[in-house]
Amino acid sequence: MTTGKAAPMRRIVVVGNGIAGLTACDSLRAAGFDGELTVVGAEQHQPYSRPALSKALLHGGEDSVTAHQRPAPGHQAIELLGVGVTGMDVDARLLTLDDGGQLPYDGLVIASGARAKRLAGDPGGDNARVFTLRTIEDAITLKERITGRPSVIVVGGGPLGMEIASGCLDAGCQVTMVASGPPLARHLGGHLSGIFVAAALRRGLRLVTSGTARLMGTNEHSPHDAGARVALADGTELGADIVVAAIGDEPNVGWLTGSGLLEGGALRVDSRGRLRPDIVAAGDVAYFPTRLGLRRVPLWTSAIDQAKVAAVGLLRGDAAPEGDLQPYFWTEGFGLSLKAVGFTPVEGAPDYCDPGGDPESLLMSWYGSGGPAGAGNPGTAAAINYRIPIPKLRALANKGPGVLRPGEAALPR
Amino acid sequence: MRIHLDRPRCEGHGLCEEAAPTLMHLDDDGELLIDAPDVDGADLDAAQAAVRVCPVAALRLEAA
Repeated sequence: MTTGKAAPMRRIVVVGNGIAGLTACDSLRAAGFDGELTVVGAEQHQPYSRPALSKALLHGGEDSVTAHQRPAPGHQAIELLGVGVTGMDVDARLLTLDDGGQLPYDGLVIASGARAKRLAGDPGGDNARVFTLRTIEDAITLKERITGRPSVIVVGGGPLGMEIASGCLDAGCQVTMVASGPPLARHLGGHLSGIFVAAALRRGLRLVTSGTARLMGTNEHSPHDAGARVALADGTELGADIVVAAIGDEPNVGWLTGSGLLEGGALRVDSRGRLRPDIVAAGDVAYFPTRLGLRRVPLWTSAIDQAKVAAVGLLRGDAAPEGDLQPYFWTEGFGLSLKAVGFTPVEGAPDYCDPGGDPESLLMSWYGSGGPAGAGNPGTAAAINYRIPIPKLRALANKGPGVLRPGEAALPR
Repeated sequence: MRIHLDRPRCEGHGLCEEAAPTLMHLDDDGELLIDAPDVDGADLDAAQAAVRVCPVAALRLEAA
């Protein structure tokens, strides 16, 4: 193999064994790296599909409990699973592990992911009435808990909160969502939010859009009464059997304190995923340059795309191709399945809209001020309950609706 | 090796097609078609990449 550098990399360590870490390992091998590869991961498991946890696994029946599983990796890395990294020495190129060990590297991939934020007032630790959903253990615990049809307060109106609310409704729970504004509006924009919120209300979701919620304490010994309480911004208190917090994630960067790699607490990489020539980062932990500026894009496909870029960036330096991220996102709930290509939120009504065969199916696209294939920011395309090949959805976002019916002129603007 | 599709699981995300465009594609209705189920050599790498990116575990590789 060649690195194009004076000192060839013989030992590469990947911190994180989620999809970004796995993709980095595979991409390093695919790019010809045949040296010693080690992956260190805090989770005990081989990489699994995190998106499936709040979708198929939470909603589905027997078969769905394996939807998150992945095939065994083929990258032949040394795997240190269930091991956390607690610190690093950038100059000595040395990691410190929570089992007391140390791990030297020539090249480092930081893919340590993110963790669920906790509610204000949550002291942390295990609590039978307060949940988050980030790991497979979280998902299995929550799925088991909702089979008893407890009343549920979901705090957070993002895609994860909405998926959890939908799963709890499907399980027969009474569900109240506390959100700061219309659910999904901040993530997807008002138009798509409106479609999902209408479907959610039709299916019985109770919605309180009063802002943040603070955990008021729980009563572990009360089997039937509202054993968990939250206080809203206006002082109102709500009670339910359980509370699920889906208020966002925060990058796992605590182990990088003092490393000199953080800027304002954030890992900001260049367009090849690099922090330094010998250190790259990818996935939920990293702020990556995009057409809309430096952003953290914590999505399954972004983790994969960034890890591919970062792996080659580590091996080839400036000769590596730059990443040009176009997000792909999907969410499911309340009988709706959304797939979207491009950056969100999108403002206003779509520039193009085609109802499909079913009452709830829609194909839409937005082009902002640039128009299809406009300079700078390309468009965004979204399909709801509408079967369309994703390459075609991508083309709709990038080139306009003309691509859907060859021969017809592109959208005039 | 042979690519196996668990069709009820497939949600048509098409990430597999982007990873292995010579082996599989989504048709106009968004249904996945495996064009070359039997793979070896360089195709095997692409097939493995396709299996890996599927977020719903709808694809797997089995001994032919």
